[in-house]
Amino acid sequence: MLHYFRIWLASVRYSIVRTMMFRGDFLVWSLVELFWMTVNLLLINVIYRHTDSIAGWDKYEMILLVGTSMLIQRFLMGFFWSSIFEMGRNVRTGAFDFFLAQPGNIMFMATTRKLDPDGLINSVVAAGVVLYAVNQLGLQPGPLDVLLYAFMVGCGLVIHYSILVLSISLVFWLTSAQGVEGTYFTLTEFSRLPREAFKGFVSQALFVWLLPVVVVSNAPARALIDRFELSWAWTLGPFLFAAAWFGLAVFVFHRGLRRYTSASS
Amino acid sequence: MLAAVDKYRHAFLLGLQGNLVYRWNFAVRGFFSLFHLAVVFILWGAAFAGTEAIGGFDLRQTLTYFITILVLQFFVSAFNEDYQISEEIRNGLINQFLLKPINYFLYRFSIFVAARLVSGALVILPLLVALPFVHGVLTFPLEPWRLAIGLPAVFLSAMIQFTIAYCFGMLTFWFLEIQGFVILSMAIEAVLGGQIFPLDLMSPDIFATSMLLPYPYQMYFPAAIFTGRFGFEESLWCLGIQACWVGILVVISRGLWARGLRRHTAVGG
Repeated sequence: MLHYFRIWLASVRYSIVRTMMFRGDFLVWSLVELFWMTVNLLLINVIYRHTDSIAGWDKYEMILLVGTSMLIQRFLMGFFWSSIFEMGRNVRTGAFDFFLAQPGNIMFMATTRKLDPDGLINSVVAAGVVLYAVNQLGLQPGPLDVLLYAFMVGCGLVIHYSILVLSISLVFWLTSAQGVEGTYFTLTEFSRLPREAFKGFVSQALFVWLLPVVVVSNAPARALIDRFELSWAWTLGPFLFAAAWFGLAVFVFHRGLRRYTSASS
Repeated sequence: MLAAVDKYRHAFLLGLQGNLVYRWNFAVRGFFSLFHLAVVFILWGAAFAGTEAIGGFDLRQTLTYFITILVLQFFVSAFNEDYQISEEIRNGLINQFLLKPINYFLYRFSIFVAARLVSGALVILPLLVALPFVHGVLTFPLEPWRLAIGLPAVFLSAMIQFTIAYCFGMLTFWFLEIQGFVILSMAIEAVLGGQIFPLDLMSPDIFATSMLLPYPYQMYFPAAIFTGRFGFEESLWCLGIQACWVGILVVISRGLWARGLRRHTAVGG
């Protein structure tokens, strides 16, 4: 475990040095992410100018939900996005050989090599949005509530990570995973909606249970709003989903790895 | 005169062939935009649950607006023209245009028109799939003037989309990487172009100010004409502003081309 932590720290150092070399890029990309986050908040603001509730959620509850969704997404972008996105390209070009020769678990090495400080900087902004909503709602979460919230955000991150690894692992069969990132962003749009807005069996089954993008953000937000009045299904659900999706991602990644034929030599 | 037009006709035909190669890409993109439409339906459906009208329009009118925006996106949006132009400048491919009697702006515009015809035709497929689910919500006002003003507005929207993308491409003469600028601009365009919400739902002051910018004329304006959000006089007035913006952006793009070429160094043969 300590061995992997040291490897990860080396990757962090490398990523920060790289970011310092391209400071302009860092600034522009931080602004880009900040803008898109603002767009999401603007949408809520505009809708609530004309209505008091969306599926039973008031304005600040919605801001809490969207803030939570943004927080999970920023963590994903900051910690994993570049590495996983590049994995698709590396498998196609044969540069993936580089990871096979490294001293550690291949999935770990391939998906954690690069950090994006711009995503991580904006996770502070997303956390600020969550705190603002908590303050406006007059919530006073205790240490246990905060721990439960953090745990569920962690589960959400694992689910997002697993879905992304699963999607990009298709490259082992398809050779090109171009456009997969667009699919991922489309799916994350659902995570900014309250679960109660999903009416009908098909949409509930598809987006709430089969692809748990809705649970990912709804569960932590509910943990703060409803505190310990949450049902066991809501508390345990994200953990079980995270474990199942992570297991599936590990399985598919390693099945795919068997098909990898180097293209570089 | 005919010979001058003919060379752009050839560029258009080449553009058609080139873009048909990516037909599956456009079709898949069209298919996934249905997921975005699902998000819109769920969100606005929930927002309308407690109220009859938002901003003076009911749920059906609002959903019709978003479907119109989706279709317009495939007919007028500049998808990656800025990157293509940037690549041609960075790799020195524009050198060939400097020696030939061809206008680079018109050449790129001919290819853009071809690309939008292909992507526009291909979005029809996923829309046909979605039609059984959405036909109940579609509601368009039937006044003939909406078509008479709306169609020129769509053409001018495409012009604005293209010229803005062209101007971003021209920035490559000054900056090596334009991706950050483009994505930053995309966020502004998404909001002020009316893709995230109908602009008339903003406060009246902000809405009036935004209508002076070029962004609402990229997509919101034609969608507002077709879906009944604008009246006759308002539409006519805005068509004038839209035409002015096309003129201004064409002048800016020509200026950037002329200034950029002074910095350009053509290497090799």
